[in-house]
Amino acid sequence: MSFALGIVPGVLLLLGFPLYLVLLAAVSIALVFFMNIPYAALHQNLFGAIDVFALLAVPFFIYAGELMGRGSVARRLVDLVQAGAGPLRGSLGVTTVGTSAIFGAISGASAATVATIGRIMVPEMQRARYPDKFGAGLVTAVGAIDIIIPPSIPMIVYAAAANESVPRLYAAGVLPGLLIAALLAAYVVFYARRHGFDPGTRFDAPALRRALGRSVWALGAPVIILGGIYGGIFSPTESAAVACVYAALVTRFVYRDVSWGEIVDCAAVTVRITAQIFIIVACASVYAWLLTVQQVPQALVAWVQQQQLGPLEILAAANLLLLAVGCFVDPLSAILVLTPLLVPIVKAAGIDTVHFGVVMMVNLAIGLFTPPFGINIFVAQSALKLPVETIYRGLWPFVLIYLAALALVTYVPSISLFLWR
Amino acid sequence: MERALERLMRAIERILALVLLATIALNFANVVGRYAFGRTITGADELQTYAMVWIAFLGAAVVAGRGEHLRMDILARRFSSSTKGVMRIAELAVILAAGGFALWQSVRYVESMLRLGANSPMAQVPMWMPHSGVAAGLALLILVALWRFARREL
Repeated sequence: MSFALGIVPGVLLLLGFPLYLVLLAAVSIALVFFMNIPYAALHQNLFGAIDVFALLAVPFFIYAGELMGRGSVARRLVDLVQAGAGPLRGSLGVTTVGTSAIFGAISGASAATVATIGRIMVPEMQRARYPDKFGAGLVTAVGAIDIIIPPSIPMIVYAAAANESVPRLYAAGVLPGLLIAALLAAYVVFYARRHGFDPGTRFDAPALRRALGRSVWALGAPVIILGGIYGGIFSPTESAAVACVYAALVTRFVYRDVSWGEIVDCAAVTVRITAQIFIIVACASVYAWLLTVQQVPQALVAWVQQQQLGPLEILAAANLLLLAVGCFVDPLSAILVLTPLLVPIVKAAGIDTVHFGVVMMVNLAIGLFTPPFGINIFVAQSALKLPVETIYRGLWPFVLIYLAALALVTYVPSISLFLWR
Repeated sequence: MERALERLMRAIERILALVLLATIALNFANVVGRYAFGRTITGADELQTYAMVWIAFLGAAVVAGRGEHLRMDILARRFSSSTKGVMRIAELAVILAAGGFALWQSVRYVESMLRLGANSPMAQVPMWMPHSGVAAGLALLILVALWRFARREL
């Protein structure tokens, strides 16, 4: 059995097989050779994993983000944050952080943020004599907070896998996301002061007002999404659909960024990204179900209880595991395979599963940009045309900052749970 | 033949994009209906998730056609060309075996739905329709794998 569900997927994964195929091969072998379960369960689980209303929010948020990522929305947000952050030392770096955080509250995927914000901000930082490695490292690292700040797509997938509520998870992600943004911004100011660049400009109130006027429609998206969910007006899925309609209206009629053809094009891109994710969701759900049938999570819980670990030690161990996995595997696959194994352990130790969800997101966010394999590094490389070595060298300080934030978020649960009592 | 399959994939992608837009519109209409007219469309939730099943599985074939499925190819990128040659045969074999097995189970499930004549609880959609999304997607996925193997893209 451990051959089918452990060794086979491990080997195929290392050999570079597509993840859905790795999981599908493992469950097929387990069903045919090792288990006495009707084969129909395979189809039922593949189908049942996608036939879930809450998962609709995934393509909807991707679509809203695709629309808002085209055209001028990012530029408008950059101008707004820049007008606000102008007087600070390192204002361009702070602007990069602030804009990425706001953009994260519109879209749920972090690669798009790295590419969109990076293309605007890295050339500006270069002109202002920021060291290349610093700007590249900053853009690459800051995009990862998108999976912590709502609406986050990995959080929806975690919610489905852990049977948790999306609104609670979203509320729990807000402060940790802002905490990381604040730490990054503070580091930018410190670095700019120490190396003596980007002294900032005088505060210009009329410019700020103008920028606000130009970006107010873009800022409406997060207001609708979060206001709608927490005002009790929409479910998260509905808020995502409303965000799509809003994004289509704003980009088509207000900003005139997209044509009708592009509205369909964005939907085609969304279909591909969604299918990429959902085929793994479907296959991972069969895999997770077989693990449960084999009582693997229960055995793990028993084993962990035997070690007599406290909640703090369990969290520390989970962090190490998630960091290691996150450096090699994309967040969604990691969530899908590890959630059914880790959540029972965490629950048995009396740890809040919403808090744990946020801990998981921060870990996987770090994996997104940790050298050498973090996926956002390659996004930045292709979007910014910078040598990968430069990005590597610039990333380490940011990895350390995220690790400090991870320690805070892990051991001070109230940072995550404060907003939802 | 090759051109035909390419065109088919593009057409499927377009159709799925329109299905997605319709799903969003349906969801939005439900929100508007609830607040403006105090009522919702019966079975709208079912129609949306069924659409998602088709998008997920047929879309997976479209993604395969572009060679865009997520994989961890850190090691695989460093394989020698002869190892890569073995790997593409291995990958095709696994797709045929595992994908074929899953396809077989899906087809059997769809058949049983047809026999039972089961309908969905709210929208009264015949259940073989959403379930055949899985079968159609897997069938196309296998076809795409063969096609890409023949063109030495896999």
